[in-house]
Amino acid sequence: MTDVSRRTFGKQTVLFSAFAALSFPGKAMAFLDKIEKKKFLYRDDIGYAMKSIFMTYDGTSKYLHKFNDVVSKTQLRSLQFHINKGLDKEYVDHYIATMEPVLQRIKQMVAAEGTEKGLASLFEDNPSAYQLFEHINVNPNQRSFPCPYKDMLSICEKYLKTFPMQWGDVCSKWCTPTWKGVAKKIGINVSVHPGETCEVKLISQS
Amino acid sequence: MSAHPNNQEIKDTMASEKPRDEMNRRDFSRNILAGGVLSALSLITIPERAEAWLDGNFRNREDLGDALKVIEKTYSDTDPYPHKFNDALVKLLLRDLDFAVRKGVEKEFCEDYVARLGVLVNKHLKKGVDQFGDDIFLWAMFERTSCGYQLFEYIDIKKGKRSVPCPFKPMLNHLAKGLGTYKIVWADVCSKWCSPTWNGFIKGAGLTERIKIKVEPGDICTIRVV
Repeated sequence: MTDVSRRTFGKQTVLFSAFAALSFPGKAMAFLDKIEKKKFLYRDDIGYAMKSIFMTYDGTSKYLHKFNDVVSKTQLRSLQFHINKGLDKEYVDHYIATMEPVLQRIKQMVAAEGTEKGLASLFEDNPSAYQLFEHINVNPNQRSFPCPYKDMLSICEKYLKTFPMQWGDVCSKWCTPTWKGVAKKIGINVSVHPGETCEVKLISQS
Repeated sequence: MSAHPNNQEIKDTMASEKPRDEMNRRDFSRNILAGGVLSALSLITIPERAEAWLDGNFRNREDLGDALKVIEKTYSDTDPYPHKFNDALVKLLLRDLDFAVRKGVEKEFCEDYVARLGVLVNKHLKKGVDQFGDDIFLWAMFERTSCGYQLFEYIDIKKGKRSVPCPFKPMLNHLAKGLGTYKIVWADVCSKWCSPTWNGFIKGAGLTERIKIKVEPGDICTIRVV
């Protein structure tokens, strides 16, 4: 089905474009331009992602599995390990240190484009963020998203009983210090308001 | 699709996929079916382990929209490399391993992973292996767990063997090019993360006398029960 679909898609795109180009050149060019810009349409590996999504969302017993389950669980496990070892602060510092070159580039963009760019680079422009948060609400000077850790921590503690840390530890020992640390590096200030829907707000620089 | 000007750039990281793609789809259907039968058998005997797997509620989920939006966003993002659904997880695992290696705690880090997340595996795996054979170990490590199918782009399932595209090698290359701040190299991931954790689960489940695995690292990593 996929092969046929791809071939058909290709043929139809060419035929339609050619026809449209002859009859409505302006509109056709706009259409071609749109297709050109949709990189999603040119990926041949989306099938794998869809299979992973199916495997994830078809499992509903015990709890509703989501695409970010393993990222959030892995992050919680690592944080628990580093808290137990007394390495949680260094763990945060390492995260920021490994990001240093890209943070320097973002800092330049923030200087050129404004602080909103900094907030975007923390969240909706960052694959590690948009693959972690189920969705991100984008508002001027503010981002909010459902906390991926609260439910997962409860699930882990309920079924595994190996996660003694509290939800507040995740906020105070991971999320808040990493966001504030990254924000400082890229030249913005943020305030963090933890909750089931967590909010991160820009603080105006004075 | 091949006419797209950006195609070459995308193709670079997907060179080995074409022939595997078709074969994998066929195998996938067969093995999912086989897995379904196995799952049904397990359901009778080992309910705790099997009941959460593919229970047919995909189309009843009301939160699929968020997942699909993330997939669209991820696969539209091709700069500086074509992003994939497992990027965040792969980066997280690499960063954690890099920190563990720098601190000299990588052995403990793996043991902690197995002990903290492997509670149910450690509890039920031996029973499953006793009832269904050694392949159950691979089933539990790969296609049965979200830690497998949310990490590996695909899993080739053969009796006594699983093959997966290594998600770590291309990402380490991207990180080396874009950041250059990681101390670990690809071989560290094989020897200090993948092999120790898979072997850790064998040990945790009390199967060291029964199951030995051979890991053949590569762009396609193969794990066999020997």
